[in-house]
Amino acid sequence: MINYKRFLLENGLRVLVHEDKSTPLIAMNILYDVGSRDENPSMTGFAHLFEHLMFGGSVNAPDFDTPLQLVGGENNAFTNNDITNYYLTIPSENIETGFWLESDRMLELDFSQKNLDNQKNVVIEEFNQRYLNQPYGDAILKLRPLAYKVHPYRWPTIGMDMAHIKNTDLEQVKRFFFSHYAPNNAILALTGNIEYDLAFKLSQKWFGTIEKRVIPVRNLPSEPEQTQERTLSIERDVPSTALYKVWHIGPRKSKDFYTLDLITDLLAGGESGRLHTKLVREKKLFSEINAYLTADIDPGLIIVQGKLMKGVDIQLAEKSVNEVINGLLSRNDIKDEMEKVKNKFESSTVFSNTSILNKAANLSFFELLGDPGLINNEVHSYRNVSHESVIDAIKRYFIPSNCCTIKYISTRKEK
Amino acid sequence: MMNNLLRVQPPVFPVEKVVIPEAKSLKLNNGVPAYLIEAGTEDIMRLEFIFKAGQVKEYLPLLSSTCNMMLSEGSQNYSSEELNRLLDYYGIFLNQSAEKDSAGIVLFFLNKHIEKVLELSREILFRPVFPEPELNSLMKKRLRWYLVNREKVQNLAMDQFFESLFGKNHPYGYQITEQDFENISPSRLKDFHSKYYNPEKMAVIISGKIHSRTTELLDLYFGNAGSGEIKKEDPVNFLRGGKLKKVHINKSGTVQNAIRIGSVTINKRHTDYPGLKVVDTILGGYFGSRLMKNIREEKGYTYGVSSSLTSLDLSGYKVISTEVGQKNNQKAIEEIYKEIRLLQNVPVEKEEMAVIRNYMSGEMVRMFDGPFALAESFRSAWEFGLDNGYYYRLAEKIKTIEPDEIIELARTYYDVDDLYEITVGAE
Repeated sequence: MINYKRFLLENGLRVLVHEDKSTPLIAMNILYDVGSRDENPSMTGFAHLFEHLMFGGSVNAPDFDTPLQLVGGENNAFTNNDITNYYLTIPSENIETGFWLESDRMLELDFSQKNLDNQKNVVIEEFNQRYLNQPYGDAILKLRPLAYKVHPYRWPTIGMDMAHIKNTDLEQVKRFFFSHYAPNNAILALTGNIEYDLAFKLSQKWFGTIEKRVIPVRNLPSEPEQTQERTLSIERDVPSTALYKVWHIGPRKSKDFYTLDLITDLLAGGESGRLHTKLVREKKLFSEINAYLTADIDPGLIIVQGKLMKGVDIQLAEKSVNEVINGLLSRNDIKDEMEKVKNKFESSTVFSNTSILNKAANLSFFELLGDPGLINNEVHSYRNVSHESVIDAIKRYFIPSNCCTIKYISTRKEK
Repeated sequence: MMNNLLRVQPPVFPVEKVVIPEAKSLKLNNGVPAYLIEAGTEDIMRLEFIFKAGQVKEYLPLLSSTCNMMLSEGSQNYSSEELNRLLDYYGIFLNQSAEKDSAGIVLFFLNKHIEKVLELSREILFRPVFPEPELNSLMKKRLRWYLVNREKVQNLAMDQFFESLFGKNHPYGYQITEQDFENISPSRLKDFHSKYYNPEKMAVIISGKIHSRTTELLDLYFGNAGSGEIKKEDPVNFLRGGKLKKVHINKSGTVQNAIRIGSVTINKRHTDYPGLKVVDTILGGYFGSRLMKNIREEKGYTYGVSSSLTSLDLSGYKVISTEVGQKNNQKAIEEIYKEIRLLQNVPVEKEEMAVIRNYMSGEMVRMFDGPFALAESFRSAWEFGLDNGYYYRLAEKIKTIEPDEIIELARTYYDVDDLYEITVGAE
């Protein structure tokens, strides 16, 4: 059980505090309710580029990292489709420096042309390193526009075209800041060696005077239901052919979420998952195979991806994946396997929540979903999934008309 | 008052001196050493079994890593499927690893399952049967993983770096080839296992909220094990670096080059090591390092650049790593050498000294925060025959090192003529 307290500042900033005296550190997490889904289609990758700019100094702190390192702190951040999340850990005696730095960059950034120009280059190198210079790196770039035709999830967080990154200017940066970075669009979580009263006092002191800002109402086009199977073949000079299959699912808060999460664990949770057991170990069709949910806030995807063994026919590989999924409809062996993935989920939740950083990030994200108490309810929700709901979900989601497939064909001739 | 808040950095407090809980050291009935570190608030434990069974012991490439991976592929009492299913059923996380010097397994679990964990660990460690079908299947899979990994410039660069430093004939240095995947047989694995996964040569590290019956159960499952014979360890080959200091590997179709620059250096056992650790951190060991500031934050040549020090039983190495756009390859390399020369010739300023001292002190707090970090830190000193005294010396050095000593260490250990320079990418 993770105990926490929540309060709301007058300017709309939501604050969550969890005390854990077993550590000398404090974790501070700030989630901004802005991600790549909030981007203009002609300026994709902007939310992530902006995350880089957040380290280039703010009005009263010329540099973010150095003062934090000076007090023994360490930090990082990530951007995804839905959120931009900043986090740091700091020895508790110096937590006030964390408040100073985070509140100052919420107050106002030091918008500098030099920093913008440089971070554009860094982001382009990041794009090259992660997507272009890796075998199979572009598969995910192709997958999004295949699965989404309208919704902004159709582009990746890094951006769909590096020209968008190159073309941004300082005016756009300022506009983005003032329309998304604001106390009333953020969630602050503090976990670790901090008392509630101090957390409240410091939050009030450093963040309390930042004024509310006008946040544009989010009005995203919803993705029309897919009615026909979509398939794309790509040829590449890679060592093995790879198969990617995705199915549309509902939003993070839909009642099917835990059922679908459990299905991916039956399929691919640990070495004993069905896809691995049947297709890697028994039939030797794949060298590796995995299944997971995107866990996006808006309707997301289930992704199954695997690399084929040499000489395996891709039609056979694909057919076998579908057979394994449909195998979950049968009662054979399912009771023990359901119990197994539930135990594993419980165990991994306990382990995840030993880290103050994870607790801070989870509290923030669940607050965004509307209820930080979810941090203590997830195991319960997952445990409640029945085989009937698994059957029902498989029949509704895992159908060809709801599926997109990428066949990533190796053109390499092997000796 | 609040409206007049002065938005300047609040008072900076020196990071409190790190206090490291001592591990409780004991011996099982058969003399196997076990170390218990009590920490954490949840009823969970981390259990590690370590053997001197790393690559350095192998007489054939892939022998050490394959032996380690095959431990969970079937035992006297369980098939591989049964083992994997049971581990998952009890929510146990099993990590198997074979490094350059040591190999072993780590298990994470809820305390209530301790007895099951010990029973399965004994099967995995001391009763593996190395079935041939599983071995063949594993080697085919590994070959596929290997082929994919060899597409990545960073892997090609690192493999070449080790070959350049330690030589083509030493397990620290040789590169894997496709042919190597055909040379591993069950009998070779059994031979390797009997020599190096020997109860007498094992150590156990346990951390977490330690179950009250831990010692008793360890004795029950492992306290009687013994081979009855202490086998002589294999002699070790010479370490001999390559003559060529600069190696470029052409990899067409790439958009970035991988760069690795470094050389053999002292390990943790050397008295200069704590000071060298400070020098390395200034150069490239954290986000605010000189290399990051220069090559990423000033010039935008890369998404990341770092340097690191690694200790090995017979040696040690330092390496600077980055991936850069091809047009900036040469410029990035020049900046790396420039930063090394600056460290050798210009005293570090007071402000940077304060940042590095406090940042590294904060890192030390993080290194001992919680049961998992504690166990890893304990292990990485223990493996070199060191105890917490090593960390206290490091903490002291972080607080007291002066700019003169940094210059001296940089001159001694970053001799530019000694450095190997490996690049991989399109020409």
